[in-house]
Amino acid sequence: MAQDFRRGALIGAPIVLGYFPIAFSFGVAATKAGLSPIEAVVMSLLMYSGAAQFMAIALIAAGAGFWISVATLVGMSLRHVLYGPSMLRAGGQSAPPKGALAWGFGLTDEVFGAGLGAFARGQAFTGGFIWGLTLVSYAAWVGGTAVGALAGASALAAWPAVDAGLSFMLTALFLALLLSIMQRAELPVIAAALVGTVGLSFAMSPTAGIMGGMILGALVGTVLGRRDAV
Amino acid sequence: MRFEIFSLIAVVGAFVWAFRALPMRLDLARMPEKGALARFFAATGVAAIATLFAASMLPEFAGGRSLPALIGSAAVLAVYLPSRSVVLATLAGAAAYGAGFAFLA
Repeated sequence: MAQDFRRGALIGAPIVLGYFPIAFSFGVAATKAGLSPIEAVVMSLLMYSGAAQFMAIALIAAGAGFWISVATLVGMSLRHVLYGPSMLRAGGQSAPPKGALAWGFGLTDEVFGAGLGAFARGQAFTGGFIWGLTLVSYAAWVGGTAVGALAGASALAAWPAVDAGLSFMLTALFLALLLSIMQRAELPVIAAALVGTVGLSFAMSPTAGIMGGMILGALVGTVLGRRDAV
Repeated sequence: MRFEIFSLIAVVGAFVWAFRALPMRLDLARMPEKGALARFFAATGVAAIATLFAASMLPEFAGGRSLPALIGSAAVLAVYLPSRSVVLATLAGAAAYGAGFAFLA
């Protein structure tokens, strides 16, 4: 159990490196938008969803209505419905390890991607592993937010290049995760997801682009998988 | 802490938890290995990561930061392919983006 936990924490190291600075930027942005440090930290503790949190502070700063904000933020998070079952499938499990109602909250985009990469390299889907992976990522996110919120709104004003580099950290992490899990047979899935995301983002909204691109890619994978299975 | 801010965080947080944790209660043991739903879930992973990469690149192009974004992405590829390290590739991408941003500014 302890060894698996350490292994999960190690697999989570790149996420920690990505999360801490991004969460720091979030803490700074939240205080800039008028949230108190406590409100920023509670948001990271209870929402734990980067894109939705950045959107939340934009909605709060713009004075958006409560239910409009809820609908927007819930819509942005809908994609997570697919992660748990997909991860169980990738890890060769028919049921999740114990405590899924607790560690399941930690299944962010990056944790999901890192978990898939580890399973593809032969890592077993154990309770210790998933707790290690999810806890270090969560701690980095909440800790980064606290440091950023306490540093205050002008923390990065004198360092625009550092601010810019930090803002690209998650994009770089997504690309690195994609490279780590992709196989040649999955190129049509990736192409469909990219085309779907770009097309729907322009035609409708970024949220529709994320959900639609993901579903389109998964549908292409479903059809191709069927051909392979026949 | 303001009540309306806490309410928003609590309601959205409850949905996020439900979306992430509850779908694992599906009885996957009964799902056929080569069934459509199993294939769908298997393909979701790579599709999701590709989607999130595309979605995070779009604002870079729309915001006039396409060159730093391309430099950053090229650095991720250049470091990942020989090293196979997600950590090093991520750090190199962010550093190259910051350097490109500073150079263009």
